[in-house]
Amino acid sequence: MAVIDRPAPPAPPPPTQTPASRWGRIRYRARVLLAEPTTLIGIALVLIFGYLVIAPLVAIVSDAARVQFGDDSRAGAPAGSLTGYYLWRVFRSPISASLFWEPLSHTVVVGLGVVVFAVVLGGSMAWLVTRTNVPGRKFLAGALVVPYMLPSWTFALAWLTLFKNNRSGGTPGFLETWGVQTPDWLAYGAVPIIVTLGLHYYPFVFLLFGNALRRIDSQLEESARVLGANRSQGMRHVVLPLLLPSLSSAVLLVLGRVLGTFGTPYILGLPTDYAMLSTSLYRSIHTRAPGVAAVIAAVIVLLGVLVVLIDMRLVREQRRFVTIGGKGSMDRATDLRRWRWPAYGLAMAVFVTSVVVPLVTLALSTVTYAPGVFRADNFTLKFWTAESIPEAVGFPHGLLRSGDLYEAMWNSLRIVGMAALVCGLVGLMVGYVVARSPSRRLSGTLRQVSFLPYLVPGIAFAAAYLTLFAVPRGPIPALYGTTLLLVVVMAITHLPYSSRSGISAMMQLGREPEEAAQVAGAGWLTRLRRIVLPIQKGALTTGVLLPFISGLKELSIVIMLTTASTPLLTTLSINLVDFGYRQQANAAVLIIAALSFTVTYLAQRATRSNLATGLGG
Amino acid sequence: MPNIELIGVDKSYVAGQYAVRDLHLTIPDGGFMCLLGPSGCGKTTTLRMIAGLEQPTRGDIRVGSRLLDSVGQGLFVPPEKRGMGLVFQSYALWPHMTVTRNVEFGLMMRKTPTAQRAQRAAEAMEMLHIADYAARYPSQLSGGQQQRVALARMLAVDPEVMLLDEPLSNLDARLRLEMRAEIKRIHQRSHATVVLVTHDQLEAMTMATHVTVMNEGVVEQTGTPMEVYERPASVFVAQFVGSPPMNTMPFGSADVAGPGATVADYVAARVGRPPTDGTGGVRPEALHIAYADADVPDGVWRAPAVVDTVLPTGSAWTVQLRCHGEPLYVQSYRKIETTPGAEVTLWAAASDLHVFDADGRRMTGWDQFLREQRSGQRPAAGPAVASGSGR
Ligand SMILES: Nc1ncnc2c1ncn2[C@@H]1O[C@H](COP(=O)(O)OP(=O)(O)O)[C@@H](O)[C@H]1O
Ligand SMILES: [Mg+2]
Repeated sequence: MAVIDRPAPPAPPPPTQTPASRWGRIRYRARVLLAEPTTLIGIALVLIFGYLVIAPLVAIVSDAARVQFGDDSRAGAPAGSLTGYYLWRVFRSPISASLFWEPLSHTVVVGLGVVVFAVVLGGSMAWLVTRTNVPGRKFLAGALVVPYMLPSWTFALAWLTLFKNNRSGGTPGFLETWGVQTPDWLAYGAVPIIVTLGLHYYPFVFLLFGNALRRIDSQLEESARVLGANRSQGMRHVVLPLLLPSLSSAVLLVLGRVLGTFGTPYILGLPTDYAMLSTSLYRSIHTRAPGVAAVIAAVIVLLGVLVVLIDMRLVREQRRFVTIGGKGSMDRATDLRRWRWPAYGLAMAVFVTSVVVPLVTLALSTVTYAPGVFRADNFTLKFWTAESIPEAVGFPHGLLRSGDLYEAMWNSLRIVGMAALVCGLVGLMVGYVVARSPSRRLSGTLRQVSFLPYLVPGIAFAAAYLTLFAVPRGPIPALYGTTLLLVVVMAITHLPYSSRSGISAMMQLGREPEEAAQVAGAGWLTRLRRIVLPIQKGALTTGVLLPFISGLKELSIVIMLTTASTPLLTTLSINLVDFGYRQQANAAVLIIAALSFTVTYLAQRATRSNLATGLGG
Repeated sequence: MPNIELIGVDKSYVAGQYAVRDLHLTIPDGGFMCLLGPSGCGKTTTLRMIAGLEQPTRGDIRVGSRLLDSVGQGLFVPPEKRGMGLVFQSYALWPHMTVTRNVEFGLMMRKTPTAQRAQRAAEAMEMLHIADYAARYPSQLSGGQQQRVALARMLAVDPEVMLLDEPLSNLDARLRLEMRAEIKRIHQRSHATVVLVTHDQLEAMTMATHVTVMNEGVVEQTGTPMEVYERPASVFVAQFVGSPPMNTMPFGSADVAGPGATVADYVAARVGRPPTDGTGGVRPEALHIAYADADVPDGVWRAPAVVDTVLPTGSAWTVQLRCHGEPLYVQSYRKIETTPGAEVTLWAAASDLHVFDADGRRMTGWDQFLREQRSGQRPAAGPAVASGSGR
């Protein structure tokens, strides 16, 4: 009998295979990585970003801890040696109150105030627009985002134009002309700053909160109701817990923004010496106290990091809820019944207050001699078009007649355009490397490094760059005052947004279209040129336009880094404010707003998308 | 036109977990190889390694005399230099190019002169009946048309190696039949070496000249479709190839009654007792129903059974029966005259029985017995055994 429980004979001996030595494996891996430049580009990006983000922060810390040039007698040590002098000066000295503690408490007060204001306004508007049958929801959904597209200090200028009193010089306010003497607390300081910043930032809450509301399936609430919960119990036990993460996220983002905002506290705080951290930082730099500035900037960075870290924790929490989101929640809107039209009125009032009133006020102020007087003989176009305005010594002509405007406009378009272009391309490149690199470690590192600038409020970044590039460092010459520096800073601060959208665009594309081209014989550059870029045209356009729009309105960064030789639209308008030429300043802001609107509108037409939702800057 | 050889190839995406393990595979020159296996068994990974889109963790890949990957020697030829053709499961057409430009792309990369390029692209589109859509964009085409464009894109460059990843899985049944014939025709015309990945055994059986059945990253069997069907090397292959799948009957321990035990007895009477944990198998189409004992031929394996249900499929009848409580299937192309509950006898010829050992591998002893029997060295029917029916 045959022995049958023997397994099938082994396969014939395999053809000779090269034994895999450790060295061979390493060489193989290297060959694979170097077969195309993705890896090298990735490494280069990590190094460049690392330098551009980390080096300035190191410079801040080093400046804060070393005796600055010219401070040697006061610090009692030679320039360059380690010292605790600046820490003492900022935190403990007799002037620490005005340098740091007051600005800090003002920042906290304003931050909380703005958060409350923005949450109440943005939250209620979000609820009205997404969960009720208020008339004109579609219009409101777009209109209530508009304030976010205006430069943030538009509201501050409009406020001054309305409520200014005779404490500060220059053109009087509307109320002043009408004989009403506004109290200081209404004209300057905390109250107006909170209101104007709140008007600027509520769309932020409106968008984030609205998205969360939209994602919540009304069936969840209904299930609770069916199980016997009354309306407010359903709200408390089901809806609110689901909304909380996005709400706190919005709150922290607003806080982060307020921390780094400069224009509004500068305009509304200066007349009563109401300083926030950002303006205190600016003042220290302006009065050439780089050591003190470095300490304040470091504090701002720390606070910014704190806010983002908390936010990241909460966003992680929020992700747990995302799967809960169902569809078709919108068709079950709360019927407001007889409150429909009053609610509509309220929403329109918010729109009018936050968009129409400021813009109309500014516009009127630029075409009248005496503000607030609407008689035919009081109207004039001279602030726009006059050949010469002798009484305005610093800016003796109508805005449109001045070469300065066109120079500033050209500078803005050129510099912001360049930064936006760099930002969009680099963002897509980051996305490409993250999605395609065969090395997981590299793509992870790059993703994290490109996110770093998000941690640092813009104004602290600018201060850091100032510190870093005011003098030559190693092979890098002093870049202060150059266009290059502005382009680099603007690009870097917008990098997190453009990388994020680049990554998601590349991930969405998947790798197969490119692989198909690769198998067909296309080398790396050909693939990039013929496959990736054409397919990503839309994403690239958005990736360029978003930084461009937000860069046009950017003030806190450029105020630190521009010099008289490269004025931008935003710095021009702040200069005019400094001079007290209210009409021309307002006109300049209107031009910025108009530019920003036009570009946004054209961009939306071109990309057929709603850019507002992606506006990050 | 070259052999494709994979020599000792491992691939792990995550350290310690193998997507493909110790793969030795030779795809003969001009052959049509189907990689067949359930989802997640490493077919796509293998195909992508051949294309160069994925890199082995260990091992060599060569095409003809050309070494494309050698982890040992540190040698790697990037995909764009391999000159192969690949059809993706998702087609991966370029959305920003018209059909013509999609098809021409490979030729353009090969720097074919314009006139010739247009002609070759036109030929490829003609061959796949998509010439009418030449100016359209992929988004304006149906799934079947996109599939044809993907094939035309590959054909236009006339590659020596054609790789197809489940090309038919997104098509409806009729279209699938049509494209099966189309792909087979393409292969016969071009004499290219084709590797096609599929989880559909029918696809593999109908198109391929060779089939490799994979399971959990390991090759279970390689052979012609007929070999794989007639002599499955393992229980896994036996169950994966063929529809409905082969009836497999674990032998169980000696005192447990079951159809497996009757097979074990039957085999024992002829070549010695198989191991207790082995498995017997018989294909539904090789299993016959007898209504009377007289109808059962001499010397065959037999077992009593009760009819459960009859499932007519139109061209055939599938009958589910219970044999010692275990379900078995019979496939018949003649009408089955029976009703549920009827007591019948099942039988199968010795040559239709498959015997597997405790590890699920095919046992050679039984095959050898059958061979000897066929060549007349053994009596046609072994000693008569009361095969199980007496239990
Ligand atoms: N890019 C990848 N990263 C990690 N694991 C992967 C990747 N691609 C495939 N795998 C894993 O490798 C195994 C084989 O996958 P695949 O080759 O796609 O199977 P098939 O094509 O046979 O369905 C699966 O377990 C899958 O999860
Ligand atoms: Mg697959």
